[in-house]
Amino acid sequence: MFLIIQTQAELVVVEKAFRYKTMAKYTEDDLKVELENKEYEYGFYTELDSETFPIGLNEDIVRAISKKKDEPQWMTDWRIEAFRAWQEMVEPEWANVNYEKPDFQAISYYSAPKKADPNKTLDDVDPELLAMYKKLGISIDEQKKMNNIAMDIVVDSVSVATTFKKTLAEKGIIFMSISEAIREYPELVQKYLGTVVPQRDNFYAALNSAVFSDGSFCYIPKGVKCPMELSTYFRINQAGTGQFERTLLIADEGSYVSYLEGCTAPSRDENQLHAAVVELIALDNAEIKYSTVQNWYPGNKEGKGGVFNFVTKRGICEKNAKISWTQVETGSAVTWKYPSVVLKGDNSIGEFYSIAVTNNFQQADTGTKMVHLGKNTKSTIISKGISAGKSQNSYRGLVRISANADNARNFSQCDSLLMGNNCGAHTFPYIESKNSSAKIEHEATTSKIGEDQVFYCNQRGIPTEKAIALIVNGFSKEVLNKLPMEFAVEAQKLLEISLEGSVG
Amino acid sequence: MDLKEKLVSSFMAFEEQIDVTSQLHDVRTSAIKNFENKGFPTKKEEAWKYTSLNAILKNDFTVFPKHENAIEFAEVKKYFLHEIDTYKVIFVDGKFSSFLSSTTHDGLDVCLMSSALTKPKYKMVIDEYFNKIASKDETLTTLNTAFANEGAYINVPKSKVVEKPIEIIYFSTGVENALMVQPRNLVIVGENAHVQIIERHQSLNENPVLTNAVTEIFAQKRAIVDYYKIQNDLLTANLIDNTYISQKQESRVSVHTFSFGGNITRNNLNFYHFGERIDSTLKGITIIGDKQHVDHYTLVNHATPNCESHQNYKTILADSSTGVFNGKIYVEKEAQKTDAFQQNNNILIGDKATINAKPQLEIFADDVKCSHGCTIGQLDESAMFYMQQRGIPKKEAKALLMYAFSNSVIESIKIPELKQRITKIIANKLGVNLGFDL
Amino acid sequence: MLKISNLHASVEDKEILKGINLEINAGEVHAIMGPNGAGKSTLSSIIAGNENYEVSEGEILLEGEDISELAPEERAHKGVFLSFQYPVEIPGVSVTNFMKTAINESRKANGKEEMPANEMLKLIREKSELLEIDRKFLSRSLNEGFSGGEKKRNEIFQMAMLEPKIAILDETDSGLDIDALRIVANGVNKLKNENNAVLVITHYQRLLDYIIPDFVHVLMDGKIVKSGGKELAYELEEKGYDWIKTELN
Repeated sequence: MFLIIQTQAELVVVEKAFRYKTMAKYTEDDLKVELENKEYEYGFYTELDSETFPIGLNEDIVRAISKKKDEPQWMTDWRIEAFRAWQEMVEPEWANVNYEKPDFQAISYYSAPKKADPNKTLDDVDPELLAMYKKLGISIDEQKKMNNIAMDIVVDSVSVATTFKKTLAEKGIIFMSISEAIREYPELVQKYLGTVVPQRDNFYAALNSAVFSDGSFCYIPKGVKCPMELSTYFRINQAGTGQFERTLLIADEGSYVSYLEGCTAPSRDENQLHAAVVELIALDNAEIKYSTVQNWYPGNKEGKGGVFNFVTKRGICEKNAKISWTQVETGSAVTWKYPSVVLKGDNSIGEFYSIAVTNNFQQADTGTKMVHLGKNTKSTIISKGISAGKSQNSYRGLVRISANADNARNFSQCDSLLMGNNCGAHTFPYIESKNSSAKIEHEATTSKIGEDQVFYCNQRGIPTEKAIALIVNGFSKEVLNKLPMEFAVEAQKLLEISLEGSVG
Repeated sequence: MDLKEKLVSSFMAFEEQIDVTSQLHDVRTSAIKNFENKGFPTKKEEAWKYTSLNAILKNDFTVFPKHENAIEFAEVKKYFLHEIDTYKVIFVDGKFSSFLSSTTHDGLDVCLMSSALTKPKYKMVIDEYFNKIASKDETLTTLNTAFANEGAYINVPKSKVVEKPIEIIYFSTGVENALMVQPRNLVIVGENAHVQIIERHQSLNENPVLTNAVTEIFAQKRAIVDYYKIQNDLLTANLIDNTYISQKQESRVSVHTFSFGGNITRNNLNFYHFGERIDSTLKGITIIGDKQHVDHYTLVNHATPNCESHQNYKTILADSSTGVFNGKIYVEKEAQKTDAFQQNNNILIGDKATINAKPQLEIFADDVKCSHGCTIGQLDESAMFYMQQRGIPKKEAKALLMYAFSNSVIESIKIPELKQRITKIIANKLGVNLGFDL
Repeated sequence: MLKISNLHASVEDKEILKGINLEINAGEVHAIMGPNGAGKSTLSSIIAGNENYEVSEGEILLEGEDISELAPEERAHKGVFLSFQYPVEIPGVSVTNFMKTAINESRKANGKEEMPANEMLKLIREKSELLEIDRKFLSRSLNEGFSGGEKKRNEIFQMAMLEPKIAILDETDSGLDIDALRIVANGVNKLKNENNAVLVITHYQRLLDYIIPDFVHVLMDGKIVKSGGKELAYELEEKGYDWIKTELN
């Protein structure tokens, strides 16, 4: 299940029982059964009545998107500016991935389930859509009181239901689709949008800035600890569309928020493009925890189809602030993604915990950038790459200590696990220091699952397949532990499903 | 006329002036074409991201020195490992100096590239080895290939253990206002043979020098090669040193690079494996200050099973100096049971010093043990205090710690006199008398 | 319980075991002693089913059933336990989770339900007390960063949890100080009963002061060359393996 989240108070109680259950569950038959249905389980397509723009991209389309969403003039101008910048840019080629470049004129840049209405209540939501959520294991049914997860669900490009708005509103927390936010809180959006990832930051970010159709917006007021996990669930449903969502999250001074993001897409033979931008702003003393379980359709066993996941995620930390990225990447045909932190304020902290699994023909080039600008800033990078099948898995990271970042600290660890002899594991760390008081430690290892480890497990009665699952889980533990509990369970299962059949 | 144009336009004149076989003519022609297309590397290229040649290329370098300048042994004795007997291949402003050299054809060839390239008796060897492992694509290597004419030629036959180390030294006397030289060395070490080589580039005054050197080393089955590079030149000297090593089964090759001097130094060190149970060692100590810039760019290409590589680079950066370490371990699919290790430790003691490190692993085989570690830090303050408390002054304590930091590399120098010399250079560099022998 | 007859085995074409015969009955403790390179560890690996060794001849019967063709985990499910001389590290997998997985896999293979959580907890508590194991230790990654003594104690803890029919202790005393040795031996003694059997493989007699064997066998050059009671161990300790060699000649 993706999202069954309890109240904070309950969570503590439930957590222990849950943790135990998870482990016991680990050896259960039902997991085995699930593994047998190892084909991409989110690969269904839901028949929804959608409104889709004609394919192609030009200024008119950009204006039409903006108009469709009733945006103010400044927003339209901002998009046009981005579009013009994008036209001047070329698609980056430095990443360690090979793919056929998307034809940007063959994509439809706006697709929305027709029944989604900004003033929707759950009753208004298309029953087909609700059925889809059920399939995905998401309950947005408030009646069930699987309560206190505030969810913003983005299907194709439009936010269809935001739950718990009222509960959050009492605390002054704004959590809604970014389209709504542009209309309802234009001053907040205008103040922060593009401040962390500028329009012309990179090719895909520029494209996103021009055409983003929806996404989530979140603002946590000063001193507020968000009482529940906020979550966005992304799904590409319609064929021939790209998804360009934009997330903007602002944690005001002294606030705290934990944010979860999940992604799936139907199995399709053609490649689908996903080019998102996520901007996080942690003001003085604020903390943002951002967790992602990315399971976009990875393509089939022959490498056909799958999502191109070209994402720009970046956060900025002011004084004493902390941003922590945790990601479990099992999906997508091609991943290009570097959740980063700009440690601008003194004493700020950036963290990046990542598991990237590639199998079959998947290619992932992922990592992080930690840019230390303030004094006494700290960053930690733990990256676990697991490659199987014919996949290529690269870690690419940057640790930069600027001249004024006195006493900056970084610790990085990048471990790769290879399963089989047709895959590759690559590590490309960039470490740059201009300050003599910096302390940086970087370690990287590449290894395989030892025959002696498997034999040891066998001797204790554990069959090889389970032994491998156990070892992979152990390898990933440091990162899995950073995920909120429910996500961790999901992630653990995903790991096994992704690697199913990869060991002979 | 900028340097690129000057080089390209002088190519024909250069070819006319030397007597070369037609085959080499083709090699040179395609090399100069490659350079003409690519030009000097810029920071836009990933491999040169952290090193810019722009400032040095502004010098009006003389490409072919017109003048000759004789130097007395006494003037340059200190640059030789004079405590022991060695073979010597010495060049002054790019020209061979028979007076300073001590070559041989007795049991092995320690002589000149120019004669190897032109004399018929070497033709077969040149055909087999010349430009065979050096890159035909990397722009500065091809620039050197185009003008390859002089350098050291060393051929050690099967099972020959060369008792004396071989010294290769390139002096520049400053007879030209600014001089560019492009030495080309070829080292072939036969089956089961063993040789030790020390290479050095030295300016004798402060006129700027740009050296673009290429060395090809072929280690046959079970050969042992220990190669030491001493880079302790004046602050007006620039060095681009390209070394390509081809190893056959069970050979052991080590290259130590000691970078203390020079303005901009770039070391491209490439190891290629052609056989099993090969051992490659790459070690370096870099201690620089002022505005010096040293860039180590290493590649170990594991293409065959059961081979090992060990890399250990230590860097101490003072003042406004910049250090770069860009090391790549590449393990091909066939190279199972590879054991590859890379360690890069850096200490910044200058407030304006910069270090850029990019240790990379590219692994395509699953049954391997590969790791790298990279640290950036300072001298251990508690150790400093400990030593001061025992009466060792701060400066000496600092030097001692830095010495200890580089010790694991010094320890693996196999020529005792060289080890002593390096220790002395380090002590000088650190401005102390360590007062102990090794 | 365990009957080995005419066992020949080799690794990479080198014959290491040259016809081993051994019969161990329920309730018995046997010790195999021998000099380095005699084939002691090979024998234990082969009983456990390590596929790096090739059995060319002979059979291994567990309660009358030939297990020599079974996978290692199938042998484990039938009650074969090997305490490794060098226990393997599995980073990130806690001792507890590892044991839960192992126990439930065995139960599954034997057609039983999974062990309920409370029962599992109880069992863990009971066995860790028996072996004087700190509970904190059980949440650490399996063998990672364990001291020599901790590794061996962990092996015996697993033996206690899995309750095997035949436990093979391969050089369990190596790397142990006297206190750790005592704890480990006490654990083994507490676990021993009339329904199971223990095979101790060791180079030195030291461990046999604590785990008293009913029978001692001397393994040399791939064969059992001498068998006797526990006094044989003392004799070996005193006179060394050369004594046997001379005696044989």
